[in-house]
Amino acid sequence: MNKLVYLVPLFPLAGFLINGLLRKSLSKGIIGFIGSAAILASFVVSLVLFFQVKGSGAAIPVEPLFTFINADTFKIDFAFQVDQLSSLFLLIITGVGFLIHVYSAAYMHEEPEQHVGRYFAYLNLFVFSMLLLVMGANYVIMFIGWEGVGLCSYLLIGYWFKNNDYNYAAKKAFIMNRIGDLGFLLAVFWLLSKLGTVSFNEVFPQVSRLTPTDITGITVLLFVGAMGKSAQIPLYTWLPDAMAGPTPVSALIHAATMVTAGIYMVARSNALYSLSEVAQHLVAIVGIATALLSATIAIKQNDIKKVLAYSTVSQLGYMFLGLGVGAYTGAVFHVMTHAFFKALLFLGAGSVIHAMHHEQDIRNMGGLKKHLPATHWTFLLACIAISGIPPFSGFFSKDEILAAAYAHSPVYWVLGVIGAAMTAFYMFRLYATTFLGQFRGTHEQEHHLHESPKAMTIPLIILAVLSVIGGMVGVPEVLGGHHELHAFLAPVLTTETHHEISHSTEYALMGISVAVAAVAIFIAVSKYSKKPELGEPAGFGKVLADKWYIDELYNNIIVKPLGALAGVLKNVVEKSGIDGAVNGVGRFVKYSARQLRLLQSGQVGGYILFMVLSIVVLFLLFWNQAMITQFLNKIF
Amino acid sequence: MGTTQILFWFLTALALLGAIMVLVSKNPVHSVLWLIVVFFAISGHYILLNAQFLAIVNLIVYAGAIMVLFLFVIMLMNLNAETEPQKSIWMKFFGVATGGLLLSFFISFIVSSIDLKNKTAQLKEGDVGLIKNLGKVLFSDYVIPFEIASILFLSAMVGAVVIGKKD
Amino acid sequence: MDSLQLQALLPFIVLASASVVIILLIAARQSHTVIQITGFLMMCLVVLAMWYVRDVLPRAIMPLLVVDGMAAVFTGLIVFCVLIIGLFSFIYFEEREENPKEYYILIFLGTLGAAVLTISRHFISVFIGLELLSISLYALIAYLRNRNNAVEAGMKYLVLAAMSSAFLLFGMALIYMDTGSMDFDGIAKQLQTQGHSPALFVTGIGLMMVAVCFKLALVPFHLWAADVYQGAPVPVTNFIATVSKIGVFAVLVRFAQAVQLQSYHFAVIIISFVAIVSMVGGNLLAIKQQNIKRLLAYSSIAHLGYLLVAFLPGNAAGIEAGMFYLFAYSITLLAAFGIVTMLSGRQADADQLEAYRGLYWRNPLMGAILTVALLSLAGIPLTAGFIGKFAVLNAGVQQQLWLPVIVLVITSVIGLYYYLRIISTLFAETQVIFPKEKSLHPLFVAGTYGALLVLLILLLGAGIFPSAVIDGIKNFLCQGFRIINF
Repeated sequence: MNKLVYLVPLFPLAGFLINGLLRKSLSKGIIGFIGSAAILASFVVSLVLFFQVKGSGAAIPVEPLFTFINADTFKIDFAFQVDQLSSLFLLIITGVGFLIHVYSAAYMHEEPEQHVGRYFAYLNLFVFSMLLLVMGANYVIMFIGWEGVGLCSYLLIGYWFKNNDYNYAAKKAFIMNRIGDLGFLLAVFWLLSKLGTVSFNEVFPQVSRLTPTDITGITVLLFVGAMGKSAQIPLYTWLPDAMAGPTPVSALIHAATMVTAGIYMVARSNALYSLSEVAQHLVAIVGIATALLSATIAIKQNDIKKVLAYSTVSQLGYMFLGLGVGAYTGAVFHVMTHAFFKALLFLGAGSVIHAMHHEQDIRNMGGLKKHLPATHWTFLLACIAISGIPPFSGFFSKDEILAAAYAHSPVYWVLGVIGAAMTAFYMFRLYATTFLGQFRGTHEQEHHLHESPKAMTIPLIILAVLSVIGGMVGVPEVLGGHHELHAFLAPVLTTETHHEISHSTEYALMGISVAVAAVAIFIAVSKYSKKPELGEPAGFGKVLADKWYIDELYNNIIVKPLGALAGVLKNVVEKSGIDGAVNGVGRFVKYSARQLRLLQSGQVGGYILFMVLSIVVLFLLFWNQAMITQFLNKIF
Repeated sequence: MGTTQILFWFLTALALLGAIMVLVSKNPVHSVLWLIVVFFAISGHYILLNAQFLAIVNLIVYAGAIMVLFLFVIMLMNLNAETEPQKSIWMKFFGVATGGLLLSFFISFIVSSIDLKNKTAQLKEGDVGLIKNLGKVLFSDYVIPFEIASILFLSAMVGAVVIGKKD
Repeated sequence: MDSLQLQALLPFIVLASASVVIILLIAARQSHTVIQITGFLMMCLVVLAMWYVRDVLPRAIMPLLVVDGMAAVFTGLIVFCVLIIGLFSFIYFEEREENPKEYYILIFLGTLGAAVLTISRHFISVFIGLELLSISLYALIAYLRNRNNAVEAGMKYLVLAAMSSAFLLFGMALIYMDTGSMDFDGIAKQLQTQGHSPALFVTGIGLMMVAVCFKLALVPFHLWAADVYQGAPVPVTNFIATVSKIGVFAVLVRFAQAVQLQSYHFAVIIISFVAIVSMVGGNLLAIKQQNIKRLLAYSSIAHLGYLLVAFLPGNAAGIEAGMFYLFAYSITLLAAFGIVTMLSGRQADADQLEAYRGLYWRNPLMGAILTVALLSLAGIPLTAGFIGKFAVLNAGVQQQLWLPVIVLVITSVIGLYYYLRIISTLFAETQVIFPKEKSLHPLFVAGTYGALLVLLILLLGAGIFPSAVIDGIKNFLCQGFRIINF
C-alpha cells in the first residue's frame, strides 16, 4: 500500500516534464489542465494517505527509494516519510495548490502559449520540490526540497524577465534564501558529524547523546535556515520584493506553502528545540519582533500586494512565536488557517488586479464592492479571519499561540495582542480603501471593471469557506471543543509544552484580544471608507512607508562595500588583463618584436613580482606558524 | 685548498657574475654572450663532478646550438637597446627587495639545516655521469621517461612549427 | 620490464601513438573530418585499452611509474574530458581560417602529459609529465595566432610557467638533497628516520607547492589564469580548466599520500591559507566580470579552492570527496565551455555576456544546459555540483576544519550571485538578431549536441544518484585496483 506515497510527488514531476518539454505543441487550455490535474491527483492520493495515517494513528512505513549517498561513516537514503505532520502539510500543499493552479489557468490566459507552458512547468516543479521538502525522511532530502523551492521561487518571481526590477527581486530572493540554506546545511553537517545520521527516525531518539552546545549550535543554525525561507528578521526583505511575481505565485509560494517551510522544519525538529532554551528564546524573540516590525510597515503600504506581503511576514512571526514558546501544534494550526485565508487574500487581490488591468495601488481603487461582488465578499471573510474574530479560523489558531505565549511570559502576550490589533487595522484599512467609498481610478478602468471568470471565483469561494470553518479542527477545550488537531499531531510533536492556565484567565485573554481587534477594525473602517489617505505619507508615516529603511541599510552595509571591494579587486589587482595594446596583425618579425616588448612592458614582470612576493609571504607564514596556530586556536 | 676547490670557487664566481651580467646588460647581444659564459662555468662544474658527458652536451647543445640561434634571432630582428621600454623605478626597487628577501630566506634555511656537509656530493667521486653508466641507466630503469622525453620534444617541435609557420 | 608492466602501460602507449597517427594523417594530407574522426576513435581505443588491462592492475613500473586504481580513475576522467573537448573542437575550428590539424597532435600530447602525471611516483616522471603538458599548452594557447590576445596569452603562460617550473625543480633538488631520494616512497621512508633536515624539507615542499598552486591557478599564483582563459581558443580553455587540473591534482594527491603531507602542520597551514584566499579571491574577482571566459576562470579558481578543502583532511573520505568534486567540476565546466564553443563565431569567441542575452529563447536546449551547468557550479541540489560540495563539506567537518568550511559556505553565496547574473541574462528579452547557425556536417552537429546531452544527463544523474558514482570511485580505489605503497 505504501507505494502510493511515491505517487504524490510523481504527479507534479510528470506535469513538470510534460509541460516543460511539450510547451510549444500544447494549447493553453491543455497546459492548464495538465498542470492542475497533476496537483489534483496528488491531492487525492494525499487524502487517502491522510486518512490512512489518521486511522492507524501511526506513520506509514515507506521503503527508501534508493541510497542517495553512501559514505563509510554514514548512509543517506533517498527516503520518504509520511506521518501526521507531513500528511497534514501534504493536504495543505496539494489542496491549496490545486485551487491556485485552477485559478492560474484563468489568470494567465492572456499570456502567449509558450510562457504559459513555462509558467505551469515551474509551478508544478515548485509543488514537487515542496512535496520533497515535507515528505523527506531525513534532513538531506528536506534540504533538497528546501533549495528546490528556492530555485522555483527564483524562476517564478522572475517570470517576467523582461523587467529588470523583477529580475533583481528574483535574484535577491534566491540569494537571501541561500544564506539561510547554508545555515541549514551547516547544521546538517554538524548533526552528521556528531550522530552519523540525519534521518529523523534516528536523530530524535538519540538527542540525548548531544551536548548542550551541540544542540544549541544545531538548532540556531537550523533556525538561520528558517529565517531565510520563512522571511524573518534579518532575512525578511526579499519577501515583499518577491511580490513582483505573478499574483497566484505569490499566493502559492509566498503565502501558503514555501514560506511555511521554516515552521515545518522547526516543528519537525521539536525534539531538538525543546532541549535548547537559548534557541527557543531566540525563535520566540525573532518571531515576535518580526511580527511587530512588519505589521508597522504594512500600515503604510499602498500597494495591495505589498500590504499582504508584510502581513505574511508578520503572521509568520506569530508562528515562530508559537514555536518558540513550545506551542508547536498552535504554530502548525496557524500555518493551516493562514494558508487558507492568506491564499484567499492573494487570489482576491489577483482578481482585483485583473479587473483593474494591472493596477496595484490601492489609492487608485475604491468602491469595488459593487463591481466585484464575489471577490468582495470572500475578501471580507478573509480579513475577518486574519483579524482573529471568532468563530473564524484565524481566531482559534492565533488564540492558541497567544495563550501559550501568555503562559510563557505575559510580555510576549502583550506584544502579540498589539500586533494583532495592528493586523486588524491594516487589513481593514486595505479592505476599506479598496472596496468601500468611491471609485478613484480612471474612467477607462471603471468602464472595464468586471468580475473575474468562474475559474477564478470558485477557488475564492472554496477558500473562503475553509477560512471560515477551518478553525473547527482546533477548538480549544475551554470553548467546549476537544482540539482534534492536537490529538492528531501529538505523536509527532512529542515535546509540546502543556501550559496550565485557568479557564477564567483564558476567557479574559480571548476577550481582550477580540475586543482590541474589533476596536481596530472599527477605527480602520470608519477612518478609511470615506476618506482614504491619498497623499504621500509624511513624518513617522514616511519612515513606515519606507520600511524603516532596512533595505537601504542592507544596501549600504553589505551590498555596496562588497561591490566596492570587488570593483577595487577588478580594477587594481586585475588591472586590465589582456590590455589590447597590440592591435592588428603584423608580419612575423615586427610582430614578435612587439610581443617581446609587451613582455617587458611590466605586466608579466608585475605578475612575477607578485608571485615572488607571495612566496615571501608564504615563507613568513611558515616561520610564524606557531603564532598563527595559537591565534587560530584562540578564535576557534 | 686543493686545485679542485680553487677551480670550484672560480667557476662559481664566474657563473654568478655571468648570470648577473645577463640581467643587467642593456644590449641583448651582450646578454646572450654572458649567458654563454654561464654555460661554460656550469659545464666546468659538471666536469668537477665527474660528469663529462653532461658537460660536453651542455656545451654543444646550449652554448653551441641554442645560443647561436638566439644571436641570429636577435640580430635578424634588430633588437637594440632602444626598443626596451624603461620600467618604473618602483618596480625595480620592489623587484630587488622581494628577490633579496627570498634569497635571504633560502640562505638562512640552508644554513640552518643540520649536517648538510655529509650529504653534499663529493667532488670527483662517483661515476654515474660517465657515458657508459648513463647509457645503461637511461635504457634500462629510465627507459620510459626517456621515451616520454622524446615525445616532449615532438610536442615542442610541433608547437614551434604551428606558431612559426606562414599561413 | 616484463610483459605485464607493458600491458599496464598500454593505454598510455595508445595515447602516445594517437598523436603519431595524426601526424601521419596530416602528412598524407587528410581532411579535418578524417583527422577528427580518427582522433575520436583513438581516444575510444584508449578507453578500450584501459578496460582491457584492468586485470593487471595495480602494477608498479619501477622506479618511476605506478598504474593503480587512483591512476585509472584520474586517467579515465582525463580521457573522457578529451573525448568531449575533441568533439567540441571540430565545430570550433571548422569555422576558422587557420589550419586546425596540428591542433589535435598538441591536444593528444598534452593529454599524455596529464596522464603521465597521474601515474607518477617519482620526481622525474612528475617533471617530464608536467613539461609535456605545459609545452603543449604554450602552443595550444597561442594556436590562433592571428588574434593578438592568443599570442599574448601564450607568451604570458610561457614565461610564468617556466618560472614556476624553475621553482618546482629547485624544490625537488632541495628535497633530494635532504632525503637522497626522488621517488615518493623513498622520500617517505627517509622522512621516518631522524637523519633529515626539516628546514630543507620545508623549503623544498614550499617551493613545490608554489609550482603546484601555479598549475592549479590558486591565489596568489593565479594571475595568469584570467588572461590565458580569455586569450586561448575555447576548447583549449576547456582543456586547461579540466585536463591539466586533474593531472596536477592527481600527482598532488599521490605525493601527499606517500609522504603524509597533511600530518605536517606547516603544510596544513599553507594549504588552508591558499584554499581560503582562493575561495575569497576567486569569487570576489568574478563578481564584476563581463567576459564569460574570465568569469569562468575566476570561478574555477574558487572551485579549486573548494577542492583543496577536500584535500586538507588527507584521509580516504577527503580523497573520495576530492575525486567526486573534480568529476563534478569537470563535467560542469565541459558543459559550460561546450556552450561557449557552440556560440563562438568565425571572428571571435562568444565571451561577452551580451552574446548570451536571451539564449534561452533562441535555443532552449543550449540555454537549459548552460543553466544547469551554472546551477551545478553554484551547488544547487540535484546537480552534481551539490553532491560535490556536500562531500567536500562533509570531509571538512569531519576533521573539524571550521575556518575553511565556513569560508566555503560564505563564499558560495557570493558565487551564486554572479552565476545568477548569467542565468538571468540567458532568460532576458533580446532584440539583437544573431546570425544563423553555421552549416556544418550534420554528423558533427548531432555529435556535439549528443555530447552536450550526455553531459547534461551526467550532471543531473550524478546529482540524483550520486552513490552510483561514489561507489564506482570507491570500487576503483579499494577493490578492483588498490593503491599500492612500497
